[in-house]
Amino acid sequence: MDNDNLLGNIYISNRAIATIAYQSVVESYGVVGLAPKNFAKSITEVLVKDPTRGVDVHFDGKAVHIDLFVIIEYGTRIKTVATTLAETVKYKLETLIGIPVAEVNVHVRGLRISNID
Amino acid sequence: MDNQKLLTSEEEKRVKYKTINGQGFKKLIEAGFTWLKTNQQSVNSLNVFPVPDGDTGTNMVLTLQSAYNEINGSAEENIGEVAHRIAHGALMGARGNSGVILSQIFRGFARALDHFDVMDVNLFAQALDQARETAYKGVVRPVEGTILTVMKDIATIALQSSASSEDFLSLLEIIVKEADESVKRTPELLPILKQAGVVDSGGKGLFFIFEGFLKYMKDESLETPLFTVQPLSIMQLESLNDNDLIEEGQDYEVVVDFQPYESFVLEKFFEELNELGTSIQVGEGDGLYRTHIHVPLENRYKPIDLAMKFGTITKVAMENLNAQMETMNKSPAASSSFKLAQVQPGEIAVVVVSPGDGISQIFASLGAAAIVPGGQTMNPSTEEILAAFANLPTDNIIILPNNKNIILAAESTKAMTSKRVSVIPCTSVPQGLSAILRLVPNGDYQSVVNSMIAARQDVETGEITTATRSVQINGVDVKQGEIIVLYNGTLIKSCTSLEEACLSLLEHADTDNKERITLFYGKDLNESEISRIVSAIQEKYPNHELEVHNGGQPHYQFIIAIE
Repeated sequence: MDNDNLLGNIYISNRAIATIAYQSVVESYGVVGLAPKNFAKSITEVLVKDPTRGVDVHFDGKAVHIDLFVIIEYGTRIKTVATTLAETVKYKLETLIGIPVAEVNVHVRGLRISNID
Repeated sequence: MDNQKLLTSEEEKRVKYKTINGQGFKKLIEAGFTWLKTNQQSVNSLNVFPVPDGDTGTNMVLTLQSAYNEINGSAEENIGEVAHRIAHGALMGARGNSGVILSQIFRGFARALDHFDVMDVNLFAQALDQARETAYKGVVRPVEGTILTVMKDIATIALQSSASSEDFLSLLEIIVKEADESVKRTPELLPILKQAGVVDSGGKGLFFIFEGFLKYMKDESLETPLFTVQPLSIMQLESLNDNDLIEEGQDYEVVVDFQPYESFVLEKFFEELNELGTSIQVGEGDGLYRTHIHVPLENRYKPIDLAMKFGTITKVAMENLNAQMETMNKSPAASSSFKLAQVQPGEIAVVVVSPGDGISQIFASLGAAAIVPGGQTMNPSTEEILAAFANLPTDNIIILPNNKNIILAAESTKAMTSKRVSVIPCTSVPQGLSAILRLVPNGDYQSVVNSMIAARQDVETGEITTATRSVQINGVDVKQGEIIVLYNGTLIKSCTSLEEACLSLLEHADTDNKERITLFYGKDLNESEISRIVSAIQEKYPNHELEVHNGGQPHYQFIIAIE
């Protein structure tokens, strides 16, 4: 997507956006991992450590739509963790890049059980 | 000496707290909860974003409330059992990020106490370490300088000191001291805190919980905060006492501004103030202290004399509270008299979350069937929203949350009712008003919902509020106490006057190409200010339709709709 400035255009790639989202996901409490969207992708990603793994970015011409595929720690309140995650990612993207974020969908792909109560 | 065998009260307490059982732990949790609640506002005030929104303190209090509800009234003696119930309650009630972390702390703590009837200081230290470990497991890349760091420091000092501590009182004294220092170190670890000039709010909340434990053991009061110093910007020179309880015999409100001498000691000043009256508040900013107090008639000049001892007085304001009470008592009905729409079975009922009386009145006049008070600082719970429409005689419900933080609570009502519920994701009052104008009470439900959702786009929203602290966001340099402008939820400018703020908002919103400006003024503004700003806007936009309403909302001087 592009933003105009006085001299020309600023282009920001989906990948750049995904990297920022990825960084805020790994710092977000309750999220213990990201999962690739599908199996075929997961094989290629084992070979290369991808800084955008588990993050999908889509730009509709006006705003950004984000899909996050995450693994959450068993024993946390999943709904709260997912909500906070979505808010953090939206906030980070809007403050760092200044583009409107229309939606952040959180797909919980699994739970990690570190300890059984 | 005869009484040599008698223990001093201090020694008694030390003996009393050698071990703790389930009931003892219940008391501690109650104390931690109460003390956190007492200091909730001071935790909330540590928010990094400069808009006054209720956050960490409230979230932690609500999480702990849910934990305490699980054991309140239980006679369980087994500590393992009590700890597990607390962990369960915290999990179910976890609110916000800090709430989730707190619930993990309790979860780890409970796991260490499995199968134990009572806990001694060594077990307590191990449980705190288990709590730390569990809390750290919940995140891929832990951010230091947060509640996690404070938990880590607490666990470390507990393990180090438990062997040499005979009882809980002495161990907790060490823990609380370390927690306090750990909180003070957070800005060194997390740059955004340093930039905003605050300590971490979650860490501070955790500190209050442990301090509550200690205060309970020392029989100290848990209801009154020691003292808090607020940013000067949120303390007005006059009418501070809007929500204060006015105690009998406290006839005068005195507010004094002074520049302290070099030798000024805050604690000492507080001590002497305490002897004069009640409702003491002290604010600080730009080298100035502002002190607010309610005093009896005969003490009315004493706060001024006292302040003179500590500094150079710059301003004094005094008000007779009795006179004010009378006017308040005369007009309680006027503020909240609005008539809600009566819906018939099968019709569509609109439930509105409104931040102020004036705004409620406008929504009511446009056909709202139920109003839930709430906004930026106090988000209504799912239950409160549900209760507002549960008894309406229709099954077709539309909710207008009017704030982005409330949308989720509104959505959650769907799972709790058999009624058909739609939430229009309007994030501001102007969006909500624009939506309710599309209401056709006996129209087709889905098409009304669709047209309301579309209607949100018809309007641009501006909000004008005061920054509660200095910070840099979106490249905008905000100084504490300045007026900040939010356009559709994004901070765009920081100004020194309301007038400048309003005009720059309108400029930013491309008002030249719009037709109508609607102003909702907040409850803290006086008429001359409003009329000054209204005429400034009229002068700049003479051809626009300009409407001015009393919104009655707190914190935001203006909410502005541009369409």
